[in-house]
Amino acid sequence: MSGGPLIVQSDKTLLLEVDHPDAAACRAAIAPFAELERSPEHVHTYRLTPLGLWNARAAGHDAEAVVDALLRWSRYPVPHGLLVDVAETMDRYGRLTLRNDPVHGLVLHGSDLAVLTEVSRAKKLAGMFGARLGDDTLAVHPSERGRLKQALLKLGWPAEDQAGYVDGEAHPIALDPDGWELRRYQAEAVEHFWLGGSGVVVLPCGAGKTLVGAAAMARAEATTLILVTNTVAGRQWKRELVARTTLTEDEIGEYSGERKEIRPVTIATYQVLTARRGGVFTHLDLFGARDWGLVVYDEVHLLPAPIFRFTADLQARRRLGLTATLVREDGREGDVFSLIGPKRYDAPWKDVEAQGWIAPADCTEVRVTLTDAERMAYATAEAEDRYRLAATARTKLPVVRALRDRHAADQVLVIGAYLEQLAQLGEFLDAPVVQGSTTNKERERLFDAFRRGELTTLVLSRVGNFSIDLPEAAVAIQVSGTFGSRQEEAQRLGRVLRPKADGRQAHFYSVVARDTLDVEYAAHRQRFLAEQGYAYTIVDGDDVLGPPLPTSE
Amino acid sequence: MSLADVLRTLDDAGLAALLRRRPDLVVPVPTDLAALAARAQTRHSTARALDTLDEFTLRVLDAVRLARDADGVARAAAIAEYTAPAAAPAAAALATLRAGYLVYGPPDTLRVAGGVDEVCGPYPAGLGRPAVQLSAAAATLAADPARLRRAVLAAPPPARAVLERLAAGPPVGTVSAAADNGRPERRSGGRRGRESGPDPDSPVVWLVDAHLLAPTGVPAGAGDPARYESVELPREVGLLLRRDTGALGPLRPTPPPVGPTREQGQADAAGAGQAMEAVRQADALLAALAAEQVVLLRTGGVGVQPLRRLARAAGVDEPTAALLLEVCAAAGLVAEVESQSVPGLLPTPRYDTWRVSPLAARWSALADAWWVMPRQPGLVGSRDDRDRPVNALAAEVERSGAPVVRRAVLAALAALGDGAAPGDEALVDHAAWRWPRRVLGREAAARQAAAEAARLGVTGRGALTSYGRLLLTPVEPADEDPLGVRGAAAALDPLAVALDPLLPAPVDHVLLQADLTVVVPGPPEPTLAAELELAADHESGGGADVYRVTEASVRRALDAGYTTDDLHGLFGRRSRTPVPQTLTYLVDDLGRRHGGLRAGSAAAYLRSDDEALLAEAAADRRLAPLALRRLAATVLVSPFPQARLVQALRDAGYAPVPEDAAGAAVLASPRTRRAPGGAAPRRPVNPAVPALTDVRLAGIVDQLRRGEARASTIRRAPAALRAAQGQVDSGPAAVQSHTEAIAVLQQAVRDRRPVWVGYVDPHGATLSRLLLPVSLAAGYLRAEDERTETLHTFALHRITAAVPA
Repeated sequence: MSGGPLIVQSDKTLLLEVDHPDAAACRAAIAPFAELERSPEHVHTYRLTPLGLWNARAAGHDAEAVVDALLRWSRYPVPHGLLVDVAETMDRYGRLTLRNDPVHGLVLHGSDLAVLTEVSRAKKLAGMFGARLGDDTLAVHPSERGRLKQALLKLGWPAEDQAGYVDGEAHPIALDPDGWELRRYQAEAVEHFWLGGSGVVVLPCGAGKTLVGAAAMARAEATTLILVTNTVAGRQWKRELVARTTLTEDEIGEYSGERKEIRPVTIATYQVLTARRGGVFTHLDLFGARDWGLVVYDEVHLLPAPIFRFTADLQARRRLGLTATLVREDGREGDVFSLIGPKRYDAPWKDVEAQGWIAPADCTEVRVTLTDAERMAYATAEAEDRYRLAATARTKLPVVRALRDRHAADQVLVIGAYLEQLAQLGEFLDAPVVQGSTTNKERERLFDAFRRGELTTLVLSRVGNFSIDLPEAAVAIQVSGTFGSRQEEAQRLGRVLRPKADGRQAHFYSVVARDTLDVEYAAHRQRFLAEQGYAYTIVDGDDVLGPPLPTSE
Repeated sequence: MSLADVLRTLDDAGLAALLRRRPDLVVPVPTDLAALAARAQTRHSTARALDTLDEFTLRVLDAVRLARDADGVARAAAIAEYTAPAAAPAAAALATLRAGYLVYGPPDTLRVAGGVDEVCGPYPAGLGRPAVQLSAAAATLAADPARLRRAVLAAPPPARAVLERLAAGPPVGTVSAAADNGRPERRSGGRRGRESGPDPDSPVVWLVDAHLLAPTGVPAGAGDPARYESVELPREVGLLLRRDTGALGPLRPTPPPVGPTREQGQADAAGAGQAMEAVRQADALLAALAAEQVVLLRTGGVGVQPLRRLARAAGVDEPTAALLLEVCAAAGLVAEVESQSVPGLLPTPRYDTWRVSPLAARWSALADAWWVMPRQPGLVGSRDDRDRPVNALAAEVERSGAPVVRRAVLAALAALGDGAAPGDEALVDHAAWRWPRRVLGREAAARQAAAEAARLGVTGRGALTSYGRLLLTPVEPADEDPLGVRGAAAALDPLAVALDPLLPAPVDHVLLQADLTVVVPGPPEPTLAAELELAADHESGGGADVYRVTEASVRRALDAGYTTDDLHGLFGRRSRTPVPQTLTYLVDDLGRRHGGLRAGSAAAYLRSDDEALLAEAAADRRLAPLALRRLAATVLVSPFPQARLVQALRDAGYAPVPEDAAGAAVLASPRTRRAPGGAAPRRPVNPAVPALTDVRLAGIVDQLRRGEARASTIRRAPAALRAAQGQVDSGPAAVQSHTEAIAVLQQAVRDRRPVWVGYVDPHGATLSRLLLPVSLAAGYLRAEDERTETLHTFALHRITAAVPA
């Protein structure tokens, strides 16, 4: 027994004891092939998945290295069966490769004849292959490159895509490091991506994913299509690109519901691309509008299903996915792997924070006690109304104001899900409300005012869940959410995790009504944060309201 | 010179050496040396001696058998001719054979011990009998080597193929098989051959005609000698064909080479990990069995579906589940419950002691059971001869030879030395070389045994573990401590003792985290496991155990009698890390809510807005028998019914009003009591005269007419018939017997004359008909009704009488 920091579980999870002296070395050894699933304060959980192992294989790690790492760092004997399983799984990647044959074009090459024969007969792959060009080669219809990779992954024989990429239309783009420089992990991320050809870079909110995108564009020096979640996020990209690269405003087009510009660098929203008229996607031409050299997908975990289908036809172009998490609520991680590419880089949130780029957030759950009248109303309400009743209790209002007043010097965001409640809050706090019905122009104006510090408090509805860059916000107060989505929590936390100029402490408050569904949902969301290593402190609403104010430290 | 003579010449040391080599000879101790020699040459003892020999030694024994002359004596030179390619190892092998007295006598006049020929079969080294013993024609051919060679060379390719196959051994083949394999395109010919002798075009016939094959097995009673069913390759032809490979076939004086070796430490570590895993999986399987009894099939065994469910519950694949189930059954941890209507499978009491014993002891219990169980779990999931699936724990899995194969495989692995990891195929090949008589023909079982050893952690990374090696060493024969007075430590068997240091030590602490997970970084102590099992939900197992504290788990603990302080104490005491605030809050929140609602039972309540009045009633000594209990300031309850409560209160001078379920007052006026009486007499009324409508009248008339018609038929019927039907009104008449009636009917059928037939209809009414019988068969009479001229069928047993018309 080596007494190492790692414990291997039967269900293929790996437990890493972080306080162990060898933990850092072990983490570095297992990170290439195991996916970090949870990172609470003492024991981090990694998981061995076929996808993760294939990712490692794609990055050049072989099974022997994985087995050695497990044996070397494991505290207890590792079951023989698990080692065999790891080796067999990893061995499946790379038996099939997609190559570009000078004569026949796209071909599927198999180093294992039995496997090649098996897939050539698979029903799911019918129609994707052309003639058999020899014992070990099958012609592939070029249009099926993406769908073939998807289908092969489902069959458990992921193909390595070595068929190369088109260069696309060249366009000079360079970074413009004026008083700033690319952070080390950002540079590494771009390097890994470029070597891999296509793939996904996983960085937490606020760690500068936009910059990774910009650096990748500078590396490609080609026309670029950037796909973002919504218009506001698109404008933010544009602002950032103008500020950080040699690109000018005129070179960057916006393709959204409002404007349809196609320029060397075009930023399009998922929404406009997936808009249908009469059952037909009307904006698909965008993908063929220029000879794009690079396609950037922002927030890959939100990528709508139709975009996957379009992406399947874009396999000859370099693709960069950016996201804070690969976990998709719809479980389509495999499609991301086969269509956009394997994960090329990721850094655990805490690690990024330790490097000092993200303001450490202090998370607090404030529990308010409902008044007797509110409790009675809650107790007798219909099941579907109960969460709303609890979440929008008026009792929360003074607590929110007390919290805001406590951080009078900071920029405060108040986030909620129910418009009625937001309106109340806006009135109560004397702050403007940004919600779905607010026009883009008005949003921009309010956000600008907030950035400049003219506004210190902003009330946000669900639009706050999407990437809006409000780096000055140091405090977020969440009053209600949609039924405990983990993703939402990550986004909200991201609001306040942006680097602060003076290294101030960021605060994240969640105001919940005690003894109601609100607490249950909060517990669910909070579990995600705890798994990310952010422990909550729970305080009582009365302590917030009444003097003496407890210190948050 | 017999074996007994040879034994008589031995000194004491020589005899002792023989007995040491073949210990079965002394059970029971033979009376004298003649008896010893006789026993040594029995089929049983010979087989046991031969079982221990390797492939090469058996080949050398074949050489000795082949080299024998007509007197049964083999000379050294003749033997050397056969074993020439490997002379030195052959000498050593011969020494082994002589040491076991399987061959005996002076080196130049060696004899083969009796029993060897019988055990080894008639074809030494896969060569047929000499031509002389087969047929005269073949003998003539064999006697002339040049002609023989020419004949072989002249064989057409298909015939040559048949020759080559028979030369490789065994030297006999059936005609149909030869046709099937030699000439696949003439398969139908082969089948015909079985009925009418061989197909004249088949290569076999050519070979027989050329006297290169000798026909054998002419079926008894087949006059034509050409209708043979099987053929044999004469030894001389076989030897000629084996010129290139050697007379004995390919010789392997040394075991086949094996692949890589691993560090013993690596093998031990992987094996120990797998051993832990196997115990964990077995535990999960048994827990699943305990939670839900598995119903056994009527034919015995666990069906495919229940096994699948069990495997899923235990988180293993089906072959593993089958193996573990078999092993657990062999270890006595599960057994069939027969007392119930449906036979089922449940853990035994031994399971309860097993699960609390140390990890190593738990494993050794499983490994020991596996080592000796006469079953082959690898068969589960395959199909038997009748194409039915073989089920776990079913009788079809029984294989008495399984332990022998298992031992052969592991012993072969052990013999390769520390850390040898040849891989399954090479290992089976090696075992087959070392003990051909144990392994050949059971290769599938051997491969399965190797896979089972890996799955149970007896081997690790393909090599035998140091503790697994102990399975091969015999255990001390008798347990001198059947009552276990020496305590658990002494009872640990050497296997567990060897495994124990490789396994992690049990831990007594946990790591608590803010996401409410509880990590036990190692195998938990039994008490810790029991505490956590109650207060948290198990999430994942393996090297460590991960639990999660949830609302449900905390409530479970509170329900089981833990207080919040107990839970705080448990977490605080066991945790090496600070208890997260969220956990404290969770426990406190639930503790506060736990018991917030109270349920109980009472038969009646007493309520009042006047608290003083209720207090008075509660304190009233006269009401003490009502056992009133105060639930709240305004409510008392009683275990007695409402009526008794009200009555007692009234008797005590209170003025209660009973309430119904909705809370409304029930006002009861005094009731007068009366006996139940009959109905009052009523004035009689005239019975109604039925109204005779026209329709009804018509019906009545019709009914009368039909009755009349029936009566007239009866009247027309002869008296004998009426008498038989009990209608004695027409005067006395002899009652006809059933047999007589049938005779009359038979006569009438022959004469085609009408008869009067009396019979009972399905409603029991007796009828008479004048009929013209058509046939009488199968218990039925078919006859034409004289009046309606339609054909009817009458059951004979219903016919009461028959009279010629």
